Amino acid sequence: MNAIENRVTQCFANVFPGLPPGQIPDASTDTLEAWDSVAHITLLTVVSEEFGIEFEPQDYVDLISYPEILKAVKDRLA
Amino acid sequence: MAQRVRRFRLWDYETVLPMTLNEALVLIRTNLVQTKGIAPERVLFLVCGFQPLHLATFLRACQAEREPPSPSEVLTGLYGDISGNLDRAADSAATAAAVAIEWNDIDPRLGLRAGGGWGSTAKKDILASAPGRLKLLADGIGKLAKRMPVAVLGPTLPLPPIDNTVRAQAGLLQLELQHHVAAFLLEAAGNPGVRIAQPPSASGDPEIDPKMELLAGFPYTVKHAAAVAQSLASALWQATPRKGLITDLDDTLWAGIVGEIGLGAVTWSHENHAQPHGLYQQMLGHLADCGVLLGVVSKNEQSVAQEALARTDLLFDASTVFPVMAGWGAKSKAVAEVLRVWNIGADSVVFVDDNQMELDEVGQTFPGMTCLRYPGNDAARVWQLLGQLRDLFGKPVLTEEDRLRRESIRAAEVMRDSGEAAGSPEFLRGLAGTVTLDYARGSGGDSRALELINKTNQFNLNGLRVGEGDWHRLLEQPGTLAVTASYRDKFGPLGRIGVLVAEPAGGNGGAMLRVSHWVLSCRAFSRRIEHHMLDSLLRRSGAEEIEFAFTQTERNQPLQEFLGRIGARESGRLRASHFRDVCGPLPHQMDEVTL
Repeated sequence: MNAIENRVTQCFANVFPGLPPGQIPDASTDTLEAWDSVAHITLLTVVSEEFGIEFEPQDYVDLISYPEILKAVKDRLA
Repeated sequence: MAQRVRRFRLWDYETVLPMTLNEALVLIRTNLVQTKGIAPERVLFLVCGFQPLHLATFLRACQAEREPPSPSEVLTGLYGDISGNLDRAADSAATAAAVAIEWNDIDPRLGLRAGGGWGSTAKKDILASAPGRLKLLADGIGKLAKRMPVAVLGPTLPLPPIDNTVRAQAGLLQLELQHHVAAFLLEAAGNPGVRIAQPPSASGDPEIDPKMELLAGFPYTVKHAAAVAQSLASALWQATPRKGLITDLDDTLWAGIVGEIGLGAVTWSHENHAQPHGLYQQMLGHLADCGVLLGVVSKNEQSVAQEALARTDLLFDASTVFPVMAGWGAKSKAVAEVLRVWNIGADSVVFVDDNQMELDEVGQTFPGMTCLRYPGNDAARVWQLLGQLRDLFGKPVLTEEDRLRRESIRAAEVMRDSGEAAGSPEFLRGLAGTVTLDYARGSGGDSRALELINKTNQFNLNGLRVGEGDWHRLLEQPGTLAVTASYRDKFGPLGRIGVLVAEPAGGNGGAMLRVSHWVLSCRAFSRRIEHHMLDSLLRRSGAEEIEFAFTQTERNQPLQEFLGRIGARESGRLRASHFRDVCGPLPHQMDEVTL
């Protein structure tokens, strides 16, 4: 796992403290009950805070899984 | 994840950067781990009209940071209904409430999500309806404050650009709205259960996040949410105020060494470039007015110190200083003598001196004491010291007892000087004392009763501290009996100096009472007021036996000795008949106040 993945994973761990670390890479709004609208806003906010990046309103609709968020972060940092 | 030094703590005195959302979540998670399996004990209701989102998270983190670790929870209400949320909070299990008001709670047209127009008709209507809307909020806050402590923060966001002026010039609409809000906050501040939070200091960063407001109904930037949470939490959960301040004289209370340059040459005046010392003197005068005990410990001849303190141009009333301990021995010994006279613990006292070696010597002898260096004639650092003193001694409400404390300590010293005779029946009768036991004031609004429970160490049944919300809940329990004791004698009034809380203990037809809390101020020792309290309690309740929820603490020796004298130390129980046998005649007149 590289540094960016580590940091995204840590953001997930902070927002979903009950989620076992091994399940974080598979987390999505479909698989994780705790990922509700409040958690979603919180998650994208801590990710943007962690990396100093901004998400647009459409991102809040599109980024609904760990892989999608990780990819969005990598794209913005590229 | 980048490692950051944690920069956010309650009750820090220095300007701090706000916590990040990640840091807040880590704090919450740590608290969850530390308190796993325990039901939430600190329940806060966040009352706001917007989506609580990150503000709730930061407030929960503030709760998680409090010592000792305790499971915590933040309850929230419904979007767009701040008035209803005030009612929901009042009906909830919360023990404290934080109220964050924004402009669109006063009128939705002042927010970003409404479409009511910003024309002249709308503006007139906004201004006309604001007082009524604020009155509704004031009523709701008043109702809420009867059940729990409430911190209130007025609008922190900029108004929409609906004044005709440029942003650098305040507009009439803005000023009139601010005027209405100031009047509302002033009225709310008169309620002893309400603390008006200071708005966060301007950081230069934007407060409003229009994107998040439109997306999720949350109007704050993350940084501003952290700052708002800190304001509310700091107003709500205040440290126990210190009781006394011991100050050095030379190069602290004044500039110069009086023993060397003479009492006429020491100075604190602006003309002599010594105004910081004058500011410090004025601060001491202010603290004395608030009931803070002032004492002096100085390396000086006693007569020289007394003469210098008699100068009539001092900027505070030096007669409020008691005792004055001047001499050439270790300062820690003189400080110990001040503590003996005041009869309070070192952790309730602040020691101010310009000499770091003296501070270290006192600090090593009294590790719990707050030792602060007087920073010379450096105005900026003296200003910082004054702010620090405000935080150390500030309290939400001043009581009559704060005013009485100093004089009653002098009277106690006179009593102590009477030696053995001070405890004799003849001496006590000669005091012409009156004990007033008030069974009607045990309401949650009596902040003095709760203050006594949370500040008293020596005559304290078990050392248990009680939060304001829990105090309200305790008094709401059916059958709870709460009595406050006041005392006055020929030396003057002591004010309210004792509190006892009892409830019927089950299974014996009300014949047994369980005393859960009992404290008596150290200023009221040796007057047998505790005997009066028990006598009244047994007589009024008709109980045949009392069970004390006694726990031995490091500091409740006086309470232990009293229980020993009445034969309740070992069993924690006291038969009424036995008490009457050992009590003997009571020395004071007793008045009882009931509902």
